[in-house]
Amino acid sequence: MSSVLRILLRRLGISVIVLIGVSMLIFAIARIIPGDPARIALGPNATAEQVAAIRAEMHLDEPIVAQYGYFVADLMRGDLGDSLYTNRPVVTDIVEFLPATLELVIVAGIMMVSFGLPLGILAARHRGRWPDHVVRILTLLTVSAPSFVWAVILMLLFAFYLPLFPVAGRLDDAYDIARVTGFLTVDTLIARDLRAFLDALHHLVLPAVALALSGIGQAARLTRANMVETYDKPYIEMAQAYGFSPSRIARRYAFKPSLIPSLTIIGLDFAAMLGNAFLVEAVFAWPGLSRYGVAVILRKDLNAIMGTVLVIALTFLVVNIIVDLMIAFLNPRIRHSTRGAS
Amino acid sequence: MTNRFLLAGAALTAATALASPAFAQSVLRLDEVAVGELDPAKASDYADSILIFNAYDTLVLPKQGEPGHEPHLASGWEVDGAVYTFNLRDGVTFQSGNPLRADDVVYSLERMQALGQGLSHLFGGIEAEAVDETTVRFILEQTYAPFIASLIRLPIVDKTLAEENATPDDAWAEVFMSANGAGSGAYVVTSHNPQAETRMEVNEDYFLPIDDSAPDEVQLKYSLEAATVRTLLAQGEHDISSQWLPPEVMRALANDGAQLLTESGTGAFYIKLNTAKPPLDDVNCRLALVNAFDYGTALQMVAITDDVSSGSAPTGAIPVGMFGSNPADQILTRDLDAARAYLDDCPTAPADWDLEISWIAEVPLEERFSLLMQANFAELGISSQIETLPWALFTERVANPESTPHISQIFVNAVTGDPDTLLYGMYHSSTPGTWQSPEYLNDPEVDAALEAGRRGPGEDDREAAYTDLNDRLMELAPTIYGYDRQSVFVASDRVSVPALSDPEMAFGVDGMGFSFRLIEMIE
Repeated sequence: MSSVLRILLRRLGISVIVLIGVSMLIFAIARIIPGDPARIALGPNATAEQVAAIRAEMHLDEPIVAQYGYFVADLMRGDLGDSLYTNRPVVTDIVEFLPATLELVIVAGIMMVSFGLPLGILAARHRGRWPDHVVRILTLLTVSAPSFVWAVILMLLFAFYLPLFPVAGRLDDAYDIARVTGFLTVDTLIARDLRAFLDALHHLVLPAVALALSGIGQAARLTRANMVETYDKPYIEMAQAYGFSPSRIARRYAFKPSLIPSLTIIGLDFAAMLGNAFLVEAVFAWPGLSRYGVAVILRKDLNAIMGTVLVIALTFLVVNIIVDLMIAFLNPRIRHSTRGAS
Repeated sequence: MTNRFLLAGAALTAATALASPAFAQSVLRLDEVAVGELDPAKASDYADSILIFNAYDTLVLPKQGEPGHEPHLASGWEVDGAVYTFNLRDGVTFQSGNPLRADDVVYSLERMQALGQGLSHLFGGIEAEAVDETTVRFILEQTYAPFIASLIRLPIVDKTLAEENATPDDAWAEVFMSANGAGSGAYVVTSHNPQAETRMEVNEDYFLPIDDSAPDEVQLKYSLEAATVRTLLAQGEHDISSQWLPPEVMRALANDGAQLLTESGTGAFYIKLNTAKPPLDDVNCRLALVNAFDYGTALQMVAITDDVSSGSAPTGAIPVGMFGSNPADQILTRDLDAARAYLDDCPTAPADWDLEISWIAEVPLEERFSLLMQANFAELGISSQIETLPWALFTERVANPESTPHISQIFVNAVTGDPDTLLYGMYHSSTPGTWQSPEYLNDPEVDAALEAGRRGPGEDDREAAYTDLNDRLMELAPTIYGYDRQSVFVASDRVSVPALSDPEMAFGVDGMGFSFRLIEMIE
């Protein structure tokens, strides 16, 4: 068995345990939040009998252990129950809302890597000089304000004062694109509608930038710090003595070892964006899962809370596994230590 | 590389700007708070009302600009005690093409009662039977004068279509009805996402004429942020805001030329005093608070412009315009001398009060009212604490008088436009311990007046009953009547909404002003 496969299997095993732990924790926490979900769902005018009927239907009168048992049994059948908030199966809601959030987060993640790493390399290569100072000031700005502040600022600048980008939504109202994957950039291509594809990209720019800015700053600063430390290593001095070009030294000898710690943080940031996307989704009226998740928590919609948290936890774990595999691929010492440990 | 990136960005912007197609039809774009409930047996909130009033029809409609109701799907009705017989209008078809029959009306009532959600509490103790294909009879367990008014909350469902979509596990077709329209309304639901957006288009086969200036298509978006709505309106990409925009945003938009639409006469802002908890179990203590409250400042706090406000001056327990309300010029005012006199007769010394003033966490305006009350009552030497309660916790706390705060702040409106649906749930002794009734009032005279208001039978009898009720409530002071509520919406100059701008055209029912067939698109 290859070392990468061993890492994969071990991470999958841990992920299953983490998912069970998360489900138990959220199941308990969701029931501690004040308020009767049946009463909230039925509205203020419901009679006591109506509330009691819904409570019985949802097994809310039974011990919490029994309730968890019902939940696990339903989950095994792929049934997360109905949302009291949207009156639809939770699975239907997740299938509808998750692609919008994933599309946004993936584009933001691509921006984070595409801009964060080059900026970090640029600053490290010119450390102590003006490009370094400019990058450090800019990245400090981006990390010091949360995504929703950037969302409002970007909207005001580039949609209100300079109407260059759309204010809200994922696609212009006039396009009617058949839903296949839920990712509009993909569905528009499947429909072979280039104008709609460009429009979907156009709608993605502001929310994705707002979501990515903090991560870009963090990735740039981390990459710079790691590379500056690497530049002090003796093997860099030797490469310089051999007369290698600065760009070759930066690319081959300074950047690669610095990438490993940056990659871990970028992976965590990427997964965290799933949750952080809420306010960006709210500002840009982006019909995503994060916005749905907050709405169902406020309404104490137990089934939907469980479904949303499990999906976000699962995505978090998948991203972490991918990052771990990439690090193992980049760093032979990790591969070898895993082989030795097993 | 930077130049190339900028060029690519500019090219993308230009390409998509050129690619943006123009609308061939008139499109009305508005927003409300999620979710949009499309099932008529579950609908209760404002967004739901907008959907239902457009996708479905009812037997009667409120008259515009005046009290009373007129036939809609019905051609007329007769009343014999507790029995109401309706004749249905000829030639009405549902959006599916099925004809309207008396069976559909019976099914709609039975479905509402069976599901027991939304506004089904309005239809307890009622049976319906189809006398023939075009005649339906309602038999009430007891006389209920506001019955005709409550029928505006009984949307008529296409029984045939619903039954076609029912399953053994879903006898009332809840899955289908939550995602599709099954009515005869002036607008057809074309897509519905309860959290994001509902789209509707005009029903070309509607049984009443629809003016050409009415919108061809409607996009109702849910839960847009205030900054988003402001930008969309400024860009001409939105037409009517929800009523939940912060006043300062409404003011800014109005200053930029947007019009302000209003809907009034259906509810009020009530500051409820727990009459079962000392010291507010004594009427003199309550009257001290009622007279110490600064009504003028309260109105300033909800003003949007010099001319438009989210509230109008209160005159008593019943909003101006409803049965039994006081004249509009008989406004409540602060009277500190009277407050001090009542306080002298209050058995608890001011220093010993320690009032709990609660506010609902989801309604930031109430925090400002809490601070106003704290300052007002402090002038009498009364100490108080402000407590923030999320709605879910509030509904639990009010379940018994001991845990109910001394003071709770609630917006209540009459869902049918009739004072019965505003006042009975608040003040009748049989309905304590709900979000509407944290006063725990138990007064035989109030109960008698409320029952007389239900019994009627004539409008004069009802008017007299509610006048008595208003007077009695002012004597008992279970509530500080903060202000008569007026919902305000910001609209672009692309639309004209007579039902929300001309009192002569107003319906007097929350949400009915958004009957899209009566809205005019100006461009």
